[in-house]
Amino acid sequence: MAIVELYQLTKSYKNNRGISDMSFSIEEGEIFGFIGPNGAGKSTTIRTLLNFIFPTSGSATVFGKDIVKQSKEIRQQVGYLPSEVHYYDDMKVIDLLTYSARFHKNFNAARMKDLAARLDLDVSRKIEDLSFGNRKKVGIVQALLHEPKLIILDEPTSGLDPLMQHHFFDLLHEERKRGATIFFSSHILSEVQKMCDRVAIIKEGKLVRVETIENLTKNKVKNITLTFEKAEPLYVELEGVIKQEVNANEIKLLYSGEIQELLSKLNGLPLHDLLIEEPTLEEIFMHYYES
Amino acid sequence: MIFQREWKRNRKALIIWSVILGGLIVGLLSMFPQFAEQQESLSKMMEAYPESMQKAFGMDELGFGTLMGFYGIEVHMMTTLLGSIYAAMLASNILAKEENEKTIEFLLSKPITRNQIVAQKLAAVIINLLILNGIAVIASLVGFQFAEGHDVPYKTFALLVIATILLHFTFAAISFMLSSMMRKTRNILSISIAVVIIAYFFNMMSGLSADLDVLKYFSPFNYADAANIINEGAIKALYVAIMAAVILLTVFAAFIVYKKKDISV
Repeated sequence: MAIVELYQLTKSYKNNRGISDMSFSIEEGEIFGFIGPNGAGKSTTIRTLLNFIFPTSGSATVFGKDIVKQSKEIRQQVGYLPSEVHYYDDMKVIDLLTYSARFHKNFNAARMKDLAARLDLDVSRKIEDLSFGNRKKVGIVQALLHEPKLIILDEPTSGLDPLMQHHFFDLLHEERKRGATIFFSSHILSEVQKMCDRVAIIKEGKLVRVETIENLTKNKVKNITLTFEKAEPLYVELEGVIKQEVNANEIKLLYSGEIQELLSKLNGLPLHDLLIEEPTLEEIFMHYYES
Repeated sequence: MIFQREWKRNRKALIIWSVILGGLIVGLLSMFPQFAEQQESLSKMMEAYPESMQKAFGMDELGFGTLMGFYGIEVHMMTTLLGSIYAAMLASNILAKEENEKTIEFLLSKPITRNQIVAQKLAAVIINLLILNGIAVIASLVGFQFAEGHDVPYKTFALLVIATILLHFTFAAISFMLSSMMRKTRNILSISIAVVIIAYFFNMMSGLSADLDVLKYFSPFNYADAANIINEGAIKALYVAIMAAVILLTVFAAFIVYKKKDISV
């Protein structure tokens, strides 16, 4: 069953770019990445799904329920971590967490202690005294505390040090094992590559494509490095070459064509060495955004 | 939940305002016996004031010599003006604060409807205002004990209290609507306080000359004017109707606006 489903979801603003014609779905138990540069519409999409803002046209469902009409029921089962965490300054961490849990009508003190301990968060501190990273941890505990079926994370790792990121990713894997679906927005590709099963790439408010991480990296696109005996003023002219860089006696290609054709083309060249690799997600990503 | 949160958050302000207002009321009423004793010399002194000034403060129609007259001139002014400022401050912050401080993103991600948010915050405003007025009534009843030998006309007193509460609710409702529409709490607060102060001056100026008399219809302070209520023994039905209409319309508007608006921080 699709946990989240968007049908041509559109949000237009007078001045700012919103999102247009966004359609994709997230399956149960998936870790779904949502990737694009700042301002591409990631947060707009998430805020529309949570009904902070109303869609201009199109529609979407979460757990099969309409995001506008049944928003309250949806949110009962959603944990949300905003990209910027803002809480009530007069509260202590524990106050905020109990306040949050009471809305969901389930407060599990043991789970709270466990989550806080794993993220190394002192719940007796005042929120206003916390650093940015520690506030983020409060946000993470708040989002996971009530054992939601769907966890929506908007740029969750900003402000966390690498060790904490590691703990956080472990937590997410456990949540997934528990049966949760995770919707993970980010502009950092390496973490999406590490965490997610599938990814939606968006650009300027539009969906570019939805693909499994496997297909994105292992599909046709290859990184090819050609090394020559000596510096050759040479370009490889071949259909399927997305990008090429020439450095002294080395040529780097991003190639998405047929491998046979490439090999026959290379056959006559004075090659010293040849390296064919999977590209990183960064490289594929840059390709989508450069065009 | 939100109600309890608002109750806690606003408790300190409520206590401070209650202590100040209650103290002022008791203090003022404790001076009444002296005023009553020296009534004759006082009335002469009053006559020395320019007529317009007497009118502006309602001293022409009420006398310091009777308990209600004294209450109407001195205490009623305090409860209406200070209470209205409190009402405006309380209500103008209550919704917009969440947006201003960006905590609304937390609140809206919880399983709660926008109507519930507005309703619970409105309930907090109502309860806080009723408590402040309750304290004022208690302080007045305590203060009346100084006036030995003077009967307390409870019916008139009750009318004055009701008028005051209606007045506070009117300003609170206007501020509450602004709070649902705007984001910057500082701006809302300035506008809300300005509305109260301007309304207060309209009422004062309307007493100054016949040309300005029309101003009184634009001031809720006139609707709750002590002289009218004491002398007529009733609050004018028209004034009650206007205040009730303003309260209902603005509160209704607050619910509608808040339900429909895009909230992004």
